[in-house]
Amino acid sequence: MTQRALAHPPVTANDVPVSSDDDVVRRAQQGDVDAFERLYREQAPAVHALARRMLGNESAARETVQDVFVRAWERLGSFRGESAFGTWLHRVGVNVILNQLRVVRRDVGRFTDDEPDDGAPVAGPPDSGIDARIDLDAAIARLPAGARTVFVLHDIEGFAHDEIAQMLGLAPGTIRAHLWRARRQLMRYLDA
Amino acid sequence: MTGSRARLDAHLTEEDRQGLADGSLPPDRRAGAESHVAACADCAGDVARLHALMTRLQELPDAQADEFDTLWPAIRLRIEGGKVVPFAADATTVRRTRSRARLAVIITGVAAALVLAFVLGRESRSRAGDVVATGNGTTPLVSVADSSRQYQEEVQALLEEFELRRATMRPATTATVERDLRIIDDAIDELKDALARDPNNAALRQLLAASYRQKRDLLKQVDNAS
Repeated sequence: MTQRALAHPPVTANDVPVSSDDDVVRRAQQGDVDAFERLYREQAPAVHALARRMLGNESAARETVQDVFVRAWERLGSFRGESAFGTWLHRVGVNVILNQLRVVRRDVGRFTDDEPDDGAPVAGPPDSGIDARIDLDAAIARLPAGARTVFVLHDIEGFAHDEIAQMLGLAPGTIRAHLWRARRQLMRYLDA
Repeated sequence: MTGSRARLDAHLTEEDRQGLADGSLPPDRRAGAESHVAACADCAGDVARLHALMTRLQELPDAQADEFDTLWPAIRLRIEGGKVVPFAADATTVRRTRSRARLAVIITGVAAALVLAFVLGRESRSRAGDVVATGNGTTPLVSVADSSRQYQEEVQALLEEFELRRATMRPATTATVERDLRIIDDAIDELKDALARDPNNAALRQLLAASYRQKRDLLKQVDNAS
């Protein structure tokens, strides 16, 4: 599976095509905040999607979008153009989000501790007042944090088992187990 | 008993099913698994459902770009604030829990910038020029220290335009804009107070100009979207 790059083609708030990604990135690297704003407008939806799916929480995702772009600004000097800007930003975003998850959960090892047994109910059924048909994003949000993280990184963002194992400090076999469990749980949610 | 019956007696393992669905099953096991699926409706159905889930994932949409207009002013404020603080960002960043409200984050950031600007301003008064260092201390940037007045004039005109258009805007949009304006105004008020106490602090002047620019940009976005 190929790792997914963020946001293509570029779109701006005013539907003005971005002249050249390279040029805009270069200007941003020279300290041009307006150029960085163009990159933000181009990439924010994909960064938000990544954050929302990994964190499972809309308000946290919106706050994280800010953190990712501030971090990207701080690290712009390390972008050498060896990949698309969106791909580089994607990795910055993953790192920021994983760090946040680590802070919240204190240590990566606990990724393995909160997983219910396969087949056990993870959460109750959707509230009766909510539309009975759960959409895919909502179902992903219901996954336990560890399984959700692995699932999003692999099945949506396209990272390999080994890469995810390195990011999370877990064995590749553990990553596969999380992934399979997440898929099964999603199927149950979507079938409900 | 036939060979196909024997294959049906033992269903595919979870690893085989998942591997067939996502294409990760090694070639030496794939042929046997595919042969089983061809003869076993249960396994074939399960693999198909897994595959359908993965196909569906590739079609997940991103949100619309204009949903994030309101986040940019806060990002810009943090970036602009970072420009006048010549420390590594990691050293000055306080780890936050995600449960904090965005408003609290911004106000805290401005307060931290004020403290740092106060300290740094004392050191910088003896230095010539208004060029400031970025977070990594390597890129000179043109000062925005004297642009507050220009931004203020633009802001006033845009505010008048906003008032005229308010009646035609969705209430939720109006509320969001007003909330963000309040956040920026709070920052401006704090900076003005700090400048009143330390009028020669170049870093504070730049922060104030940056805050006015945030306000102008926010109002411009509203104006463009209307």
